[in-house]
Amino acid sequence: MSTIVQDRFAEAKMRFQALFEAQENRLNGQQGSALHQFRRKALGLLEEVSFPTRRDEEWKYTSINRLLQADYTVGESPRITEADIRPFLIPGLDCHLFVFVNGQLQESISHCGPFADGLSVKTIASALEEEGAEEVETILTEMLEGQKDAFKVLNAAFASNGLLIKASRNAAVKKPLYLLHLAAPGTNVPFNNHMNLTIAEPNSDLSVMEGYFQLPGSQGSYFHNQFSYIQAGENAHVHQYRLQKEGLEGFLVSNTEVEQDGNSTFTSFALDLGGRLVRNNLRTKLKAPGTTTNYWGTYFAKGEQHIDNHTFIDHAVPHCVSNELYKGIVTDKATGVFNGKVLVRKDAQKTNAFQQNSSLVLSEKAAMDTKPELEIFADDVRCSHGATIGQLDESAVFYLRSRGLPDADARAMLQHAFLGEVAENIKLEAVRSFTEQLVHSKFEE
Amino acid sequence: MLIIKDLKVSVEEKEILQGINLEVKPGEVHAIMGPNGSGKSTLANVLAGREEYVATSGSVLYQGENLLEKEVDERAQAGIFLAFQYPVEIPGVSTANFLKSTVNAVRKAQGKEELNAVQMLRLMRDKIKMVGMDEKLLQRSLNEGFSGGEKKRSEMLQMALLEPRLAILDETDSGLDIDALRIVADAVNQLRSADRSFIIVTHYQRLLNYIVPDYVHVLYKGRIVKSGDKSLAMQLEEQGYDWIKEEADSVASL
Repeated sequence: MSTIVQDRFAEAKMRFQALFEAQENRLNGQQGSALHQFRRKALGLLEEVSFPTRRDEEWKYTSINRLLQADYTVGESPRITEADIRPFLIPGLDCHLFVFVNGQLQESISHCGPFADGLSVKTIASALEEEGAEEVETILTEMLEGQKDAFKVLNAAFASNGLLIKASRNAAVKKPLYLLHLAAPGTNVPFNNHMNLTIAEPNSDLSVMEGYFQLPGSQGSYFHNQFSYIQAGENAHVHQYRLQKEGLEGFLVSNTEVEQDGNSTFTSFALDLGGRLVRNNLRTKLKAPGTTTNYWGTYFAKGEQHIDNHTFIDHAVPHCVSNELYKGIVTDKATGVFNGKVLVRKDAQKTNAFQQNSSLVLSEKAAMDTKPELEIFADDVRCSHGATIGQLDESAVFYLRSRGLPDADARAMLQHAFLGEVAENIKLEAVRSFTEQLVHSKFEE
Repeated sequence: MLIIKDLKVSVEEKEILQGINLEVKPGEVHAIMGPNGSGKSTLANVLAGREEYVATSGSVLYQGENLLEKEVDERAQAGIFLAFQYPVEIPGVSTANFLKSTVNAVRKAQGKEELNAVQMLRLMRDKIKMVGMDEKLLQRSLNEGFSGGEKKRSEMLQMALLEPRLAILDETDSGLDIDALRIVADAVNQLRSADRSFIIVTHYQRLLNYIVPDYVHVLYKGRIVKSGDKSLAMQLEEQGYDWIKEEADSVASL
């Protein structure tokens, strides 16, 4: 007989299993679909994986206990109107808009298609039933193979509206995609899962925006569990923008897995303003030489928020460049975490890897844990990293005040400037302005 | 305009100013000179409101009000301007944005209507020309990477835009070449008017060749030990500070 190992999250797992089964019973006829088979398989893995605790090095600073206590529901998606989404639209940006409410695509207010310039977007469910399904099957199979991460397993089991986004070979996709996710909590505590599979074929160029917000007027807790997989083919250019101002009682876990082929560029811009508990994992694997990887991140946590950014760049091959800049502010009783791992393997000669994390900690009870992790096994590389945690420069505050700016204005101006350095890297003017507007609203909060 | 009576000021519990008396009337230009460590900058900074400088006794009346009770931004809003010896570099804040914010913050505090974008642009163009600044600097971060001369121009531009009642120049001339010195002097001379006063703190007489002061005061060991007109500055240039020190020390030892 094997010994019985106490799983402290056994009860939470059982609740997720029950939730899955309840939803399955409502499926009527779709149970045989390829997507459903995949989801069932994922659910089966739930028993084998464990949820992380603070004893895991990767989760040392973030406890997920709070997140696993709630009694979640899935699939209930209230109808919303154009007016509801207006605050989250990006002024001046012509884009393909997909609106998800509690994880369900609401086609009536989405403005997607017709897709031109070699762009195609379909649900993963339909992609699995069509010709060429092997490509998606491979990605999904690999995703579950040896998967240890409970959140990815949950995502695979619950994401029913996942999208396959594809830019075909040589396609310069002019119109970006905007996937707007709104959480609508209320009497129920929604558990929203979404999966994106993005394939940028060789020489293509594609921008994908993901927005995470809470539906105005709704109140309460919810859990958004996101998974994105991005494949940047040979010489492809992929820009990912993740802008989140989740509700202050919302939980967000996001996983972004990127694979880059030779000479490709992947740029991620992440803005984290909302959420009671936020954990973002961003990982890139460099598969062939000549790639560029940019990670830009901004965070601002107030009240009792906890925002954790974990990033990883795996330099497995030579002649690759990575740039990383994360800057943020924590105040009140909020906590922030930055853990940036850069691995330069033995064969990754001529790697250029730069990383910087700077935080302002503006109150006595706020805290920031920052951990740069550079592991370098090659000997001909240029790598640097820096981490600073500090307060506002009081001589700068005095200077601004001596010109007549009230204290609060002077401090806000310096905080804006501190964060603004990151947003300067955003190429799309409309997105940059929208980002600034979101940051501005955080100051007013 | 400004009446300082028996002002004593400490920094980190060390008394730097040991009883200053000074009256500045509208339209006057006062030069404060003195050897290093005499307390010149302390006087400038305590008037501007720097918190580390603690007035332990005495009083400062500005336009009839107790200046020492006012916050630094309130002083600026009331028309006091300090040109910094070392202007602070502020990355990420564009010079243009900063200037707009300060002009409107001061206007708002003074109960004036804030300027709109067009009015602001016109005002800025006007004043930029006056101080001979390169307009491109407006788009750069405030003082960041500015040369010494550019920083001083930036200070003078701020002074011209904020139109203070009392401008204090804290060793603005230190480290400047003759061209930069002229910029400062030209700006001050253009802004001189019957209702605007200046306190010019300087170590060198050189600046006073271009800005002719009404009064010259010599500060030594935290006190004004000698006052006179511009000829006192000339005398200091020729003879240095030693004779003043001797004179003051012998009086003190009596």
